[in-house]
Amino acid sequence: MIFAGGKILPDTELNPVLGCLEEETAQTLSGPPLETETVLNALDVLAQELDSGALDGLIAQYAPPGAREELARVRPQISRAALEQRLALELGGLAGPRPFGRSEIRPLGVLLHIAPGNMAGLPAFTAVEGLLTGNINLVKLPHGDKGLTLAVFQKLTQLEPRLAPWLYAFDLSSRYSGTIKALAALADGIVTWGGDGAISAMRKLAPPGCKLIEWGHRLSFAYLSGWEDMELLPLAEHIVRTGGLLCSSCQVIFLDTGHLSVAERFCKQFLPVLEKAAASHYKTPGQAAQAALYARETALEQTVDRTGSGDLNFPGQSCSLTLRRDMDLELSHLHGNVLVKRLPRQELIPVLRRQRGRLQTAGLICPDSEREVLAALLARAGVNRITAPRHMSDSLLLEGHDGEYPLRRYVRVVDIENT
Amino acid sequence: MLSRQTLFWLSRVYNLPGSDARFLRAVRDNCAYHIRHCPEYRLICEAEGFSPDCLHTIDDLVKLPLLPTLFFKRHHVSSMPEWRTAMRVTSSGTSGSFSRVGFDWGCIFAEIPMVLRLGFYHKLVSPMPARYVILGYKPGKQDRMGVARTMFGLTHFAPPVGRFYALKWKDGGYLPDLDGAVKTLARWARGALPVRIVAFPSYLWFGMERLEELGLSVRLPKGSKILLAGGWKQHYAQEVDKSTLYALARRVLGVEEENIHEFFGAVEHPIFFNTCKKHHFHLPAYARVIIRDVRTLKPLPMGEVGLVNLITPLINATPVTSVMTDDLGCLTPGEDCGCGLKSPYLTVLGRAGLNDITTCAAGAAELLGKGEML
Repeated sequence: MIFAGGKILPDTELNPVLGCLEEETAQTLSGPPLETETVLNALDVLAQELDSGALDGLIAQYAPPGAREELARVRPQISRAALEQRLALELGGLAGPRPFGRSEIRPLGVLLHIAPGNMAGLPAFTAVEGLLTGNINLVKLPHGDKGLTLAVFQKLTQLEPRLAPWLYAFDLSSRYSGTIKALAALADGIVTWGGDGAISAMRKLAPPGCKLIEWGHRLSFAYLSGWEDMELLPLAEHIVRTGGLLCSSCQVIFLDTGHLSVAERFCKQFLPVLEKAAASHYKTPGQAAQAALYARETALEQTVDRTGSGDLNFPGQSCSLTLRRDMDLELSHLHGNVLVKRLPRQELIPVLRRQRGRLQTAGLICPDSEREVLAALLARAGVNRITAPRHMSDSLLLEGHDGEYPLRRYVRVVDIENT
Repeated sequence: MLSRQTLFWLSRVYNLPGSDARFLRAVRDNCAYHIRHCPEYRLICEAEGFSPDCLHTIDDLVKLPLLPTLFFKRHHVSSMPEWRTAMRVTSSGTSGSFSRVGFDWGCIFAEIPMVLRLGFYHKLVSPMPARYVILGYKPGKQDRMGVARTMFGLTHFAPPVGRFYALKWKDGGYLPDLDGAVKTLARWARGALPVRIVAFPSYLWFGMERLEELGLSVRLPKGSKILLAGGWKQHYAQEVDKSTLYALARRVLGVEEENIHEFFGAVEHPIFFNTCKKHHFHLPAYARVIIRDVRTLKPLPMGEVGLVNLITPLINATPVTSVMTDDLGCLTPGEDCGCGLKSPYLTVLGRAGLNDITTCAAGAAELLGKGEML
């Protein structure tokens, strides 16, 4: 399916739409610019509809289960006040008088978004960031999008028809590289969400001179120092709730110790906490069954792939801990099966540097007196978010994105000299 | 290794107690073979303290190392070099990843009598030629999907004189052609030869709804049948009550309930499960099923709902002896069915799933060599 001109069209319209796209985008850019206020107003009305429950049917029809809860969590981020604050924080001060004249902020022009499929709503969100900065947005929808993004775009353009020329969406398989190349050829910037494969592929397709904005996959972890009397349940709940599936999900629990016996003691202390979190999270038989299967799979993988590695396995009900002897940050077995490793603080920078460019969130558990020192150490190692474990995967108001302010990347500064 | 053939050439296809001894012997031999030839399976057996000698009675089957289908998606394990296998088949990979299972010649040799005996038993075999409308994949070189193989196999019970596929491979993807299928059905309905519709249940449902939408109804010739394979897969949410489906088939196609057959099987467990006249999947002598607790994976008593564990000694090329599916189901005593078969029947109630968030870390899984796409 395709979204163009405020309408959802069948795939058969692809070639006609592509054929006119260059002319249409040029025409849109020649017209009046997209005012931020227009976008904010439209989003405000959409958010009100969301709050009133008017969109519940649409969400139930198109979004995966659990999307409603996920949306409730990010709802504060799309409030008018939050978006205005973001615009002020990210773009404020970039324009203004200069000794030579003045600087202005202008959109890049046309953004091609290679949208992610890992969270419902993200394809729409990336386009909204593009709209807020006044860009025309061509969104390549992810494989798993069940129509939610198209429905949101249609709703948004119904509420504010002036947005229609600024929004396009294409539900294409990545195999159609010819079409993606044609879209890339029209873009001033390409926003790629995805793994290394997707990013490398887009780098090849992007014409020289096209700005690449890459939101790649990241790895996150928890760092625990002096945890003995600390509350560990929020960490367990985070691990079970996100299943390790998000960039901000804890893959490895690093312990500030060099002693294996201490790490073993931690595993014995933490396993019942993780089991408790699992028991309360996996409520339906289907969820419990899936968790049991993943835990079984983890045990088998440990047997088959890690023989002789010296890993210590702590199998629990619907979850497990694996204590490994190395210090590397790596992907866990996912779905409530998490890795535990020793990482004394003096080793922290050299070890984490090996994953530079991939680090995202550290969930820090330590005594208050240590917090500043450890946070500084983690930041120096390349971590971009340091939070309490319970907030590892929450969106925090006015936070950056992987160490950057996204809106700044979707605009350019135009310097104009006074004559 | 003749123990496997001895089991699969059994003539009394639903006699479980009568086949227990043969079944156990074949499973024991099958496990011993995998332990000898598959290093991964050997490691698992060692870790779990299992050896074929642990199997004394049919109740000991619970001790078999339990391999989830996910394991076959992440590990392409084998007990035989590829050149010795007859073919490799993959699951349909609803979620993007798929199992790869090798079939050895001994397995094919054992499957043939099983399929024929069950086909005769369920009156699928007919000398009268038939035309086939397949609401499924057209098998081809581009893939090795098990369900395409099953559906193609199902078109041989009556000599085929024409096949129409609703899913065609074009430009690197499958394209559905429901309208073409509907037109073909309408044309063949006017002929004298019976028509057999081989379909995914969901496609049959959508197809029949489309017919009804168009205000069409056809009367398929006498002897026509509907053969359903492949489950509902990604369409669970739209799963309809079976009686509604049968009523629609009668109304739109003129096919009576007794001519609708369903099949159940998996690439990792290619046993030919058929429905009886009451539409229940009784266990054939070639398979055993254990229902396991969704949290502990411990065996559950008859009647309770849990994960479906399928056991068969059919395949030597891949260690699929005891496979844990992600289906949820239950067993019911055969006597409760009323069709006359004594063998317990399996009801599949749904699928385990918590894929409500798919992932960005999954891309990382690919990167780190797990080769899994969620």
